[in-house]
Amino acid sequence: MQPDATPSPSGKTLPEAMLSVRGLKKVYQTDGGDIEAVRNLTFDLRAGELACLVGPSGSGKTTLLKCISGLMAPTEGEVLLDGKRVSGPPKKMAVVFQEYGRSLFPWMRVRENVELPLKNQGVAKAERDRLVDEALEAVGLAHVPRSYPWQLSGGMQQRVAIARAIAYQPEVLLMDEPFAAVDAQTRADLEDLIRTIWKKFGVTVLFVTHDIDESVYLGERVIILSSSPTVVQEDIVIDLPVDRDQLETRSLPRFTELRHHVYEQIQLAKKGHRPAAAGTVSAATTQAAPASRTDVA
Amino acid sequence: MKPLKTLGYVLALPVLLVLLWWASTLGAVNFFVPTPATLVAKFGEVWFGPRFFSDVLPSLGRLLVGVVAAIIIGVVGGVLIGSVKWLRALLEPTLEFFRAIPPPVLVPVLILLMGITDSMKVAVIISGCVWPVLLNTIEGVRAVDGVLSDSAHTYGIDGWARVRYLVLPSASPQIMAGVRQSLSLGLILMVISEMFASSSGLGFTIVQFQRSFAIPEMWSGIVVLGLLGVAMSFIFQWAERNILRWYHGQKEVENAA
Repeated sequence: MQPDATPSPSGKTLPEAMLSVRGLKKVYQTDGGDIEAVRNLTFDLRAGELACLVGPSGSGKTTLLKCISGLMAPTEGEVLLDGKRVSGPPKKMAVVFQEYGRSLFPWMRVRENVELPLKNQGVAKAERDRLVDEALEAVGLAHVPRSYPWQLSGGMQQRVAIARAIAYQPEVLLMDEPFAAVDAQTRADLEDLIRTIWKKFGVTVLFVTHDIDESVYLGERVIILSSSPTVVQEDIVIDLPVDRDQLETRSLPRFTELRHHVYEQIQLAKKGHRPAAAGTVSAATTQAAPASRTDVA
Repeated sequence: MKPLKTLGYVLALPVLLVLLWWASTLGAVNFFVPTPATLVAKFGEVWFGPRFFSDVLPSLGRLLVGVVAAIIIGVVGGVLIGSVKWLRALLEPTLEFFRAIPPPVLVPVLILLMGITDSMKVAVIISGCVWPVLLNTIEGVRAVDGVLSDSAHTYGIDGWARVRYLVLPSASPQIMAGVRQSLSLGLILMVISEMFASSSGLGFTIVQFQRSFAIPEMWSGIVVLGLLGVAMSFIFQWAERNILRWYHGQKEVENAA
């Protein structure tokens, strides 16, 4: 491990990059041998970008997110937030987890849940109230501040988690398959909510999903991951109109094309296809046990 | 209608038992079993006089101090041991040893070390009551949900804030289960600590009555202990309902789903 150094010695980061992942590698040490979850990931997110990260199941999406959010230290490589190396959960970052039922405090009311991170930071009461009101309003939950999370539906609980994240005023918002556990209709509403919030608050969003349609519909950009051990398979720009609509956008020929393309790439990834460059670079550095690299047929 | 019905359920069995007792003591006169009327008369006479201040209150005071101290020690120790891995590895085998020692055998030892004092009796109560709280708190602290813990961590809720907003509330159902066990243990130990060597208290008085063949008085003391247990249980239930409102609500929602 390198010692904390800010700004990074590697210095290759683009000046406007808000979030920068450089040569990230994560190997889990287990009793059964080392498992290489992420091999070599490098990508940048510009400030204000909304990017989706999509990959086959087991492609190390959650591992990557944990490294980015500072919950886990990478084995090699580094994550830079606004030019500073991430070594623990950074103040400018908020994370929304998939398990909404387990990410809100059940002993606190909705409002207290959204308020707690601000209170903990010592934000003054008046300012806190303003931020909480604004966040609850933005997610359409201004009417339930005194409910407990478990009294709400799954979709509403996830809205509370999103409100808590935006009240925290992060520069980067990470979302780990946030809508994987809600029903399809709620999901469509929440997707539109994310687009609205992104435009309103100008936050940089990295949205991890396994849903190809969702990634194309939501993102301005889609980063496709290979299967484990993970590298970036492809990084594509989604050139759909900024104002998106569940019916209109999804019936555009361009949407179908992009969707096809991402789908094909994921299929290739599942078959074990890897971009040539990444494969040769990492072949020398891999320490993974052979058993962990069996490709999914 | 509803409160009346509840009251009916609460009182039905006690009334039936007293009736049975009354019927069975109607004809026969047994020196060791008083009639309900004698007992009630003695009860008022014995406990609503100077004894209330000289025996009941001191006992209650020691019980309260002992139980509260045990809860504080148990929760603080439990949070520390549950959070710090090496501390747990270091202490757990030793804790198993001390936990296995029945507190009554400590009474003579504590008398020798501390003398026949209030502190000795409180120490006896603590030595027994601390275990359920301590061990349950350790388990509760260890069982804090991983996702919830990650959430708190990403929002910078660490250190004391983590204990206050995450660890303690999350472990509170287990802590309360420990407290419930401690309360009944506390009552038992209060009596035992006063039976060996004492000059006041409920345990002392009951033993005195027994030795002087004041049988109805002795029985009335036992009734006081039973009533005390009931009162403690009601207070506990009330406190638990308030502290764990969220927990019971969440369980109800989960069961309904």
